[in-house]
Amino acid sequence: MVFNKNINGLAVQVNTNIYLRLTDEFNAGKLRAVICSGQAAVLHRIAIMSKDGDWILRENKETCRHVLSVLQNHGAHYRFGAPLDIRWLARGWSSHFEFDSGGMRIRTDFFTRPPRIANDELPALWNDQAGKNPPFVDMATLARLKQTDREKDYAIIGELAQQMENNADQLRFSRSALDLMRLAKQHPALVRKLVKERPLLAVISGGSRENIETALDAERRVMIHRNENRLAEFESAAGRWRKHWPELARIISGLPLLKAHAVLVKDALKYLPGTAA
Amino acid sequence: MKKNQTDHFLSEEDVSIRDMDWDELITWWNLWLEQAQVTNDIDQHEYSHGVFRHEPPCPVKNKARR
Repeated sequence: MVFNKNINGLAVQVNTNIYLRLTDEFNAGKLRAVICSGQAAVLHRIAIMSKDGDWILRENKETCRHVLSVLQNHGAHYRFGAPLDIRWLARGWSSHFEFDSGGMRIRTDFFTRPPRIANDELPALWNDQAGKNPPFVDMATLARLKQTDREKDYAIIGELAQQMENNADQLRFSRSALDLMRLAKQHPALVRKLVKERPLLAVISGGSRENIETALDAERRVMIHRNENRLAEFESAAGRWRKHWPELARIISGLPLLKAHAVLVKDALKYLPGTAA
Repeated sequence: MKKNQTDHFLSEEDVSIRDMDWDELITWWNLWLEQAQVTNDIDQHEYSHGVFRHEPPCPVKNKARR
Protein backbone atom coordinates (compact mmCIF):
# COMPACT_ATOMS: atom_id res chain seq x y z
CA MET A 1 0.00 0.00 0.00
CA VAL A 2 1.45 3.34 -1.09
CA PHE A 3 -0.20 6.62 -0.19
CA ASN A 4 0.68 10.28 -0.25
CA LYS A 5 1.63 11.78 3.08
CA ASN A 6 2.11 15.48 3.68
CA ILE A 7 5.50 15.98 5.31
CA ASN A 8 6.45 19.61 5.90
CA GLY A 9 4.20 20.71 3.06
CA LEU A 10 5.57 18.15 0.61
CA ALA A 11 3.51 15.28 -0.78
CA VAL A 12 5.69 12.24 -0.17
CA GLN A 13 4.84 8.70 -1.29
CA VAL A 14 5.05 6.39 1.68
CA ASN A 15 5.05 2.62 1.68
CA THR A 16 2.74 1.78 4.56
CA ASN A 17 -0.08 -0.45 5.60
CA ILE A 18 -3.60 0.11 6.82
CA TYR A 19 -2.74 -0.15 10.52
CA LEU A 20 0.12 2.33 10.34
CA ARG A 21 -2.02 4.66 8.27
CA LEU A 22 -4.88 4.47 10.79
CA THR A 23 -2.42 5.09 13.63
CA ASP A 24 -1.21 8.21 11.82
CA GLU A 25 -4.78 9.41 11.40
CA PHE A 26 -5.76 8.68 15.00
CA ASN A 27 -2.73 10.66 16.16
CA ALA A 28 -3.13 13.64 13.85
CA GLY A 29 -2.13 16.71 15.85
CA LYS A 30 -1.53 14.84 19.12
CA LEU A 31 -0.88 11.41 20.56
CA ARG A 32 -4.17 9.62 21.17
CA ALA A 33 -3.57 5.98 20.24
CA VAL A 34 -0.81 3.46 20.83
CA ILE A 35 -0.60 0.23 18.83
CA CYS A 36 -0.67 -2.87 20.97
CA SER A 37 -0.91 -6.64 20.75
CA GLY A 38 -0.56 -8.34 17.34
CA GLN A 39 0.57 -5.38 15.27
CA ALA A 40 2.98 -4.31 18.02
CA ALA A 41 4.51 -7.80 17.77
CA VAL A 42 5.20 -7.09 14.09
CA LEU A 43 6.79 -3.74 14.91
CA HIS A 44 9.01 -5.48 17.48
CA ARG A 45 9.97 -7.87 14.65
CA ILE A 46 8.64 -10.89 16.55
CA ALA A 47 6.09 -12.35 14.15
CA ILE A 48 3.13 -11.52 11.93
CA MET A 49 0.26 -13.42 13.48
CA SER A 50 -2.79 -11.16 13.64
CA LYS A 51 -4.93 -9.61 10.95
CA ASP A 52 -6.76 -7.24 13.31
CA GLY A 53 -5.50 -4.01 14.82
CA ASP A 54 -5.87 -2.85 18.38
CA TRP A 55 -4.99 0.32 20.14
CA ILE A 56 -4.84 1.70 23.65
CA LEU A 57 -6.58 5.08 23.58
CA ARG A 58 -6.30 8.10 25.80
CA GLU A 59 -9.30 8.14 28.05
CA ASN A 60 -10.93 11.43 27.09
CA LYS A 61 -13.90 12.61 25.05
CA GLU A 62 -11.84 14.35 22.37
CA THR A 63 -9.97 11.13 21.59
CA CYS A 64 -13.18 9.15 21.23
CA ARG A 65 -14.72 11.79 18.95
CA HIS A 66 -11.59 11.99 16.79
CA VAL A 67 -11.19 8.22 16.43
CA LEU A 68 -14.86 7.83 15.55
CA SER A 69 -14.50 10.52 12.86
CA VAL A 70 -11.48 8.76 11.37
CA LEU A 71 -13.33 5.45 11.36
CA GLN A 72 -16.40 7.05 9.81
CA ASN A 73 -14.22 8.38 6.97
CA HIS A 74 -13.17 4.78 6.32
CA GLY A 75 -16.80 3.62 6.25
CA ALA A 76 -16.47 1.62 9.47
CA HIS A 77 -19.41 0.16 11.34
CA TYR A 78 -19.73 -1.02 14.92
CA ARG A 79 -19.32 -4.68 15.74
CA PHE A 80 -20.91 -6.00 18.92
CA GLY A 81 -19.14 -4.26 21.77
CA ALA A 82 -19.24 -1.18 23.96
CA PRO A 83 -19.70 2.33 22.57
CA LEU A 84 -16.42 4.16 22.06
CA ASP A 85 -17.18 6.40 25.01
CA ILE A 86 -15.22 6.89 28.21
CA ARG A 87 -18.22 5.91 30.36
CA TRP A 88 -17.73 2.33 29.20
CA LEU A 89 -14.04 2.32 28.31
CA ALA A 90 -13.18 3.49 31.83
CA ARG A 91 -14.86 0.38 33.15
CA GLY A 92 -12.63 -1.84 31.03
CA TRP A 93 -15.00 -2.51 28.13
CA SER A 94 -13.66 -2.65 24.58
CA SER A 95 -15.08 -1.17 21.34
CA HIS A 96 -14.90 -2.93 17.98
CA PHE A 97 -15.30 -1.80 14.39
CA GLU A 98 -14.99 -3.22 10.91
CA PHE A 99 -14.65 -1.83 7.41
CA ASP A 100 -13.49 -2.81 3.96
CA SER A 101 -10.24 -1.44 2.59
CA GLY A 102 -9.36 -2.45 -0.95
CA GLY A 103 -11.18 -5.74 -0.58
CA MET A 104 -9.63 -6.50 2.81
CA ARG A 105 -11.71 -6.85 5.95
CA ILE A 106 -10.18 -4.50 8.49
CA ARG A 107 -11.05 -4.84 12.16
CA THR A 108 -10.11 -2.28 14.77
CA ASP A 109 -10.35 -2.82 18.52
CA PHE A 110 -9.96 -0.19 21.23
CA PHE A 111 -9.67 0.12 24.97
CA THR A 112 -8.33 2.65 27.45
CA ARG A 113 -7.77 0.22 30.35
CA PRO A 114 -5.48 -2.47 28.98
CA PRO A 115 -5.67 -5.76 30.87
CA ARG A 116 -2.95 -6.48 33.42
CA ILE A 117 -1.64 -2.90 33.26
CA ALA A 118 -2.37 -0.90 36.41
CA ASN A 119 -3.98 2.50 36.00
CA ASP A 120 -1.07 4.22 37.69
CA GLU A 121 1.26 2.78 35.03
CA LEU A 122 -0.62 4.40 32.15
CA PRO A 123 0.87 7.91 32.45
CA ALA A 124 4.35 6.39 31.97
CA LEU A 125 3.11 4.48 28.93
CA TRP A 126 1.87 7.71 27.33
CA ASN A 127 5.05 9.59 28.27
CA ASP A 128 7.23 6.86 26.75
CA GLN A 129 5.34 7.00 23.46
CA ALA A 130 5.36 10.79 23.10
CA GLY A 131 7.02 11.76 19.82
CA LYS A 132 7.34 8.19 18.55
CA ASN A 133 6.14 7.32 15.07
CA PRO A 134 4.56 4.84 15.05
CA PRO A 135 3.78 4.63 18.75
CA PHE A 136 3.57 1.02 19.97
CA VAL A 137 3.83 -0.60 23.39
CA ASP A 138 7.24 -1.68 24.65
CA MET A 139 8.21 -5.35 24.93
CA ALA A 140 7.45 -5.71 28.64
CA THR A 141 3.99 -4.16 28.26
CA LEU A 142 3.31 -6.30 25.20
CA ALA A 143 4.33 -9.43 27.12
CA ARG A 144 1.81 -8.58 29.86
CA LEU A 145 -0.94 -7.87 27.33
CA LYS A 146 -0.20 -11.26 25.79
CA GLN A 147 -0.83 -13.13 29.06
CA THR A 148 -4.22 -14.13 27.69
CA ASP A 149 -6.18 -17.36 27.57
CA ARG A 150 -4.72 -18.30 24.17
CA GLU A 151 -1.85 -20.77 23.99
CA LYS A 152 -0.29 -19.08 20.96
CA ASP A 153 0.30 -15.88 22.91
CA TYR A 154 2.76 -17.65 25.21
CA ALA A 155 5.00 -18.42 22.22
CA ILE A 156 5.05 -14.68 21.52
CA ILE A 157 5.92 -13.94 25.16
CA GLY A 158 8.73 -16.50 24.96
CA GLU A 159 10.14 -14.90 21.84
CA LEU A 160 9.75 -11.39 23.29
CA ALA A 161 11.62 -12.40 26.44
CA GLN A 162 14.52 -13.65 24.34
CA GLN A 163 14.70 -10.25 22.65
CA MET A 164 14.54 -8.24 25.89
CA GLU A 165 17.77 -6.57 26.89
CA ASN A 166 16.97 -6.04 30.55
CA ASN A 167 17.81 -9.03 32.78
CA ALA A 168 14.97 -8.29 35.17
CA ASP A 169 12.48 -8.27 32.27
CA GLN A 170 13.92 -11.54 30.98
CA LEU A 171 13.37 -13.05 34.42
CA ARG A 172 9.86 -11.63 34.58
CA PHE A 173 8.74 -13.03 31.24
CA SER A 174 10.99 -15.85 30.01
CA ARG A 175 9.16 -19.03 28.99
CA SER A 176 12.41 -20.97 28.52
CA ALA A 177 13.68 -23.27 31.29
CA LEU A 178 17.18 -23.20 29.79
CA ASP A 179 17.29 -19.40 29.72
CA LEU A 180 15.95 -19.17 33.27
CA MET A 181 18.60 -21.62 34.53
CA ARG A 182 21.30 -19.51 32.91
CA LEU A 183 19.87 -16.27 34.31
CA ALA A 184 19.67 -17.83 37.78
CA LYS A 185 23.38 -18.61 37.68
CA GLN A 186 24.31 -15.15 36.39
CA HIS A 187 21.99 -13.02 38.56
CA PRO A 188 21.12 -14.82 41.82
CA ALA A 189 20.42 -11.62 43.76
CA LEU A 190 18.05 -10.37 41.08
CA VAL A 191 16.23 -13.70 41.10
CA ARG A 192 15.73 -13.45 44.89
CA LYS A 193 14.43 -9.90 44.47
CA LEU A 194 11.90 -10.86 41.79
CA VAL A 195 10.53 -14.03 43.40
CA LYS A 196 7.70 -12.09 45.06
CA GLU A 197 6.66 -10.76 41.67
CA ARG A 198 7.01 -14.12 39.88
CA PRO A 199 6.81 -17.09 42.32
CA LEU A 200 8.09 -19.49 39.62
CA LEU A 201 11.55 -17.97 40.07
CA ALA A 202 11.79 -19.75 43.44
CA VAL A 203 12.41 -23.05 41.62
CA ILE A 204 14.92 -21.94 38.97
CA SER A 205 18.02 -21.82 41.17
CA GLY A 206 19.23 -25.38 41.32
CA GLY A 207 16.02 -26.77 39.84
CA SER A 208 16.15 -29.34 37.05
CA ARG A 209 15.08 -28.40 33.55
CA GLU A 210 12.11 -30.75 33.90
CA ASN A 211 10.97 -29.15 37.17
CA ILE A 212 11.23 -25.67 35.71
CA GLU A 213 9.31 -26.71 32.60
CA THR A 214 6.59 -28.20 34.81
CA ALA A 215 6.43 -24.94 36.75
CA LEU A 216 6.27 -22.95 33.49
CA ASP A 217 3.36 -25.08 32.29
CA ALA A 218 1.53 -24.62 35.57
CA GLU A 219 2.18 -20.88 35.53
CA ARG A 220 0.79 -20.63 32.00
CA ARG A 221 -2.36 -22.48 32.98
CA VAL A 222 -2.89 -20.15 35.95
CA MET A 223 -2.59 -17.10 33.66
CA ILE A 224 -4.95 -18.68 31.11
CA HIS A 225 -7.57 -19.39 33.79
CA ARG A 226 -7.19 -15.91 35.25
CA ASN A 227 -7.93 -14.34 31.88
CA GLU A 228 -10.83 -16.71 31.25
CA ASN A 229 -12.33 -15.63 34.57
CA ARG A 230 -11.79 -11.96 33.71
CA LEU A 231 -13.58 -12.36 30.37
CA ALA A 232 -16.38 -14.38 31.98
CA GLU A 233 -17.13 -11.44 34.28
CA PHE A 234 -17.45 -9.11 31.30
CA GLU A 235 -19.54 -11.68 29.45
CA SER A 236 -21.89 -11.94 32.38
CA ALA A 237 -22.17 -8.15 32.75
CA ALA A 238 -22.92 -7.84 29.01
CA GLY A 239 -25.83 -10.30 29.09
CA ARG A 240 -28.64 -7.79 28.51
CA TRP A 241 -26.57 -5.88 25.95
CA ARG A 242 -25.95 -9.09 24.02
CA LYS A 243 -29.67 -9.90 23.97
CA HIS A 244 -30.51 -6.41 22.77
CA TRP A 245 -27.80 -6.30 20.09
CA PRO A 246 -29.64 -7.94 17.13
CA GLU A 247 -32.40 -5.31 17.41
CA LEU A 248 -29.84 -2.52 17.77
CA ALA A 249 -27.81 -3.81 14.81
CA ARG A 250 -30.96 -3.60 12.68
CA ILE A 251 -31.51 0.03 13.73
CA ILE A 252 -27.94 1.24 13.15
CA SER A 253 -27.31 -0.69 9.94
CA GLY A 254 -26.76 1.79 7.12
CA LEU A 255 -26.24 4.77 9.43
CA PRO A 256 -23.00 6.76 9.26
CA LEU A 257 -20.85 5.78 12.21
CA LEU A 258 -21.32 8.96 14.26
CA LYS A 259 -25.09 8.64 14.03
CA ALA A 260 -24.89 4.94 14.86
CA HIS A 261 -22.73 5.84 17.83
CA ALA A 262 -25.34 8.22 19.21
CA VAL A 263 -27.98 5.47 19.02
CA LEU A 264 -25.60 2.99 20.62
CA VAL A 265 -24.82 5.28 23.56
CA LYS A 266 -28.50 5.92 24.23
CA ASP A 267 -29.23 2.19 24.43
CA ALA A 268 -26.02 1.28 26.24
CA LEU A 269 -27.09 3.57 29.07
CA LYS A 270 -30.02 1.19 29.55
CA TYR A 271 -28.36 -2.16 28.87
CA LEU A 272 -24.59 -2.04 29.48
CA PRO A 273 -23.11 -1.18 32.87
CA GLY A 274 -20.74 1.76 32.66
CA THR A 275 -19.39 4.43 34.95
CA ALA A 276 -21.04 7.73 35.80
CA ALA A 277 -20.52 10.39 33.13
CA MET B 1 21.16 -13.64 25.86
CA LYS B 2 23.01 -16.25 23.78
CA LYS B 3 20.75 -17.82 21.20
CA ASN B 4 22.37 -21.25 21.17
CA GLN B 5 21.20 -23.85 23.67
CA THR B 6 17.86 -22.31 24.30
CA ASP B 7 14.21 -23.07 23.74
CA HIS B 8 12.55 -21.98 20.51
CA PHE B 9 9.06 -20.55 20.37
CA LEU B 10 8.47 -19.59 16.76
CA SER B 11 9.55 -20.93 13.39
CA GLU B 12 12.48 -19.57 11.41
CA GLU B 13 9.94 -18.20 8.94
CA ASP B 14 8.23 -16.20 11.70
CA VAL B 15 11.40 -14.62 12.99
CA SER B 16 12.85 -13.88 9.55
CA ILE B 17 11.14 -10.48 9.69
CA ARG B 18 13.92 -9.44 12.05
CA ASP B 19 16.37 -9.13 9.17
CA MET B 20 14.11 -7.20 6.81
CA ASP B 21 14.51 -3.52 6.10
CA TRP B 22 11.47 -1.30 6.66
CA ASP B 23 10.14 -1.51 3.09
CA GLU B 24 10.54 -5.28 3.02
CA LEU B 25 8.73 -5.56 6.34
CA ILE B 26 5.80 -3.44 5.13
CA THR B 27 5.58 -5.38 1.87
CA TRP B 28 5.66 -8.74 3.68
CA TRP B 29 3.20 -7.51 6.31
CA ASN B 30 0.72 -6.36 3.63
CA LEU B 31 1.09 -9.61 1.74
CA TRP B 32 0.46 -11.56 4.94
CA LEU B 33 -2.65 -9.48 5.70
CA GLU B 34 -3.98 -10.09 2.19
CA GLN B 35 -3.40 -13.82 2.42
CA ALA B 36 -4.97 -13.97 5.88
CA GLN B 37 -8.27 -12.81 4.36
CA VAL B 38 -8.96 -16.42 3.36
CA THR B 39 -9.95 -17.17 6.96
CA ASN B 40 -12.50 -14.34 7.17
CA ASP B 41 -15.47 -16.70 6.99
CA ILE B 42 -14.08 -18.87 9.76
CA ASP B 43 -13.53 -16.04 12.24
CA GLN B 44 -16.45 -13.89 11.10
CA HIS B 45 -18.10 -13.81 14.54
CA GLU B 46 -14.97 -14.01 16.69
CA TYR B 47 -12.87 -11.42 18.48
CA SER B 48 -9.12 -11.52 18.79
CA HIS B 49 -8.81 -8.66 21.30
CA GLY B 50 -10.86 -6.98 23.98
CA VAL B 51 -13.39 -8.38 26.41
CA PHE B 52 -15.75 -10.13 24.01
CA ARG B 53 -15.32 -13.56 22.46
CA HIS B 54 -18.20 -13.98 20.00
CA GLU B 55 -20.76 -11.79 18.31
CA PRO B 56 -24.37 -12.66 19.09
CA PRO B 57 -26.25 -14.24 16.17
CA CYS B 58 -27.53 -11.34 14.12
CA PRO B 59 -30.02 -11.42 11.22
CA VAL B 60 -28.66 -8.13 9.82
CA LYS B 61 -25.16 -7.75 8.40
CA ASN B 62 -24.22 -4.37 9.80
CA LYS B 63 -23.03 -1.85 7.24
CA ALA B 64 -22.32 1.84 7.48
CA ARG B 65 -22.42 4.81 5.18
CA ARG B 66 -19.50 7.19 5.00
